Amino acid sequence: MKQRIELMKANALYTVLLFLFLSVSLGFSSLANAHNVVGGVYAEGFTIEGEAGFSNGSMANEGTVVKVSDTSGTPLGEAVTDDQGYFVFTAKKRITHVFEINMGAGHILKMQLPAEELPDSLDDVTATTISSNSVASTSDITQSSNNNGQVEDTNQAVIQNQIQNQITPLMLEKAIAKQIKPLRREISALKEKSGMRDIIGGIGYIFGLLGLVAFLRERKLKAKQ
Amino acid sequence: MHIVDGALSSPVLITGAVLTVIGVFIGLKKMDYDHLPLVGVLASVFFIASYIHLPLGFSSVHLIMNGLLGILLGWVAFPALLVALLLQVIFFGFGGLLVLGVNTLNIALPAVIIYYLCYKGIRHESAKVAAIWGAIGGAGAIIITSLMVAFSLALSGESFVLAAKAVLPAHIPIMIIEGFVSYAAVYLIHTVKPEFITKDAH
Repeated sequence: MKQRIELMKANALYTVLLFLFLSVSLGFSSLANAHNVVGGVYAEGFTIEGEAGFSNGSMANEGTVVKVSDTSGTPLGEAVTDDQGYFVFTAKKRITHVFEINMGAGHILKMQLPAEELPDSLDDVTATTISSNSVASTSDITQSSNNNGQVEDTNQAVIQNQIQNQITPLMLEKAIAKQIKPLRREISALKEKSGMRDIIGGIGYIFGLLGLVAFLRERKLKAKQ
Repeated sequence: MHIVDGALSSPVLITGAVLTVIGVFIGLKKMDYDHLPLVGVLASVFFIASYIHLPLGFSSVHLIMNGLLGILLGWVAFPALLVALLLQVIFFGFGGLLVLGVNTLNIALPAVIIYYLCYKGIRHESAKVAAIWGAIGGAGAIIITSLMVAFSLALSGESFVLAAKAVLPAHIPIMIIEGFVSYAAVYLIHTVKPEFITKDAH
């Protein structure tokens, strides 16, 4: 009987402890934030733009040094983040750039920008800027040619051709990278978000595991008898 | 407190993993199976405690509770913390699988040190004295853990002083809070369920 009471006392203590922490964690869960670092680098011509921050949405401290090197570790230069966690680095060569940002206390972010994302040469960049101007003029032609029925078809084909030649993959990439930037950040923030379900699930796992250990132990003891 | 994947060099990772395996082995050997539920509750406590973040400037720190775990579990803190840390990696993305060994070592070894340091004090007849030792243990574990984190970062190339400067000040508030929490917990256990503490050492 005495043992039974002891057992009940112990159970009550466990429950109280668990409740305490559950309630506290509930209260604080809005403040919760994960430790993971997130970031990205995007090439726009020879200008490499990047950002660094934590997965909860807060960005790297202003003035955090970004070390830039090639794949073998030879330093190429440094950049400094602004108050939004952004940094800009101008590439001089078409090689793979490695960005390393140390945000302190073991928060290190390493990012790579493959050489393919940089334009072939400096000439290429000027070419794309010129072509973007001419794209504007071709759209004018499209509007004016709308009235001439027959000529339109051939014209359209020519224009299509022209546009295809002029919208380089680089330009497309630039535009797309710009559009998906906020999406990317939202997705990584969402990925890191963990809620009540995870907490309860984790506790469930711990108790399940202990149950398994207890079960195996019991079996072993029974087998001995 | 959780070091992320990629911050440490491989020798540090391997050493941490090996030492953790040894610690877990000793812990499993010494485990008192009658107190299995206690191990589970404390592992859960740690699991949740890491989720309670206190905002601190741009960063945030969280409770660790390894002092309390050490006081109550001794070497068993190793397996208990390994399980909890593994689940944190899976559910919350804290730390990483590769650094699991180092993280477990950094949190469990201070717990074991505290177990031995506060062994006598915790077993004092007076609940108050025991609770004060509990507070010392709770705060002390954080200091040792912070130093170990800084040390692991230093071994991987970062300067120790710089790393320690980054890690230690952030944990001063946590140290104080943990001191109080451990004080309260030890006081409660000492009055309600003293055999958790006074159970024979193995």
